[in-house]
Amino acid sequence: MSPSLMPHKKGRSAISSIVVAMLSLVLLVIIFSNVILWSYQMNQYDLQTAHEGVKITEITNANDGTEFAFENTGSVTVHIVALWIDNSTQHQRYPVNLFINSGENLSFFTLDINLPTEPYTIKITTERGNIAVYT
Amino acid sequence: MGKAIRIFKDKRAITPVLSSLLLTVIAVAAMAIATSATYVITTNMRETMSERIAVEDVWFNNSTNSIDLYLYNVGKVAVSISAVYINHNQSYAGSFRLGIGDHNWLNISRSWAPQTEYYIDLVSTRGNHVPITYAT
Repeated sequence: MSPSLMPHKKGRSAISSIVVAMLSLVLLVIIFSNVILWSYQMNQYDLQTAHEGVKITEITNANDGTEFAFENTGSVTVHIVALWIDNSTQHQRYPVNLFINSGENLSFFTLDINLPTEPYTIKITTERGNIAVYT
Repeated sequence: MGKAIRIFKDKRAITPVLSSLLLTVIAVAAMAIATSATYVITTNMRETMSERIAVEDVWFNNSTNSIDLYLYNVGKVAVSISAVYINHNQSYAGSFRLGIGDHNWLNISRSWAPQTEYYIDLVSTRGNHVPITYAT
């Protein structure tokens, strides 16, 4: 090998170190960005869950059915997915699909639900997992 | 013809090619392993931090003498409940699986007393805890 080529040959080892360092850095950036991104998304989700507020304001027996009145007291839209009627002998879940915008009221009438004669508790569950209770 | 024979006889040129090739293969394999490890680590972390479980209902069932929990998976990944501790005693061990958005009863055969407070702690296979306190 001619002496003039020697510096180039020596220079390659330096380039490979830089390439290895760059690739390791890329992997580290991928790991951290993934974790931070998901952490941020879940924090946003938890924040929305915390800002959710819903109340059962009134329950009335009407025309062989039951009418429920809800109020969204939170700052985000609420999606009610289930309505529970619990008493000492039965805990019954009724799937519902109701959306209430922030600050709005909603009346929901159904023929499928008849209130029990004995003392009962009524609960609703939102899509984000919050629960409102009416006794 | 004589020149070609000379090239084939010259084995000194093959060694650098083989070493470069071997180095390339090793480098590619190392990067593949590092990338796979990165994927596995980030996936596990992401799944662990995406678990959310809501306890919709707790029924201290008199007729079956059990404590029935109605669970709702409100997280971003499927969850599996591996253990339930009631008042710090393990009352359930198994694999109760809920997909994203799924909900179902988890029945725990255990005696209970009226007018008593129960501390219930659900543990997922990924190690997350959901503690709740309910009174009969």
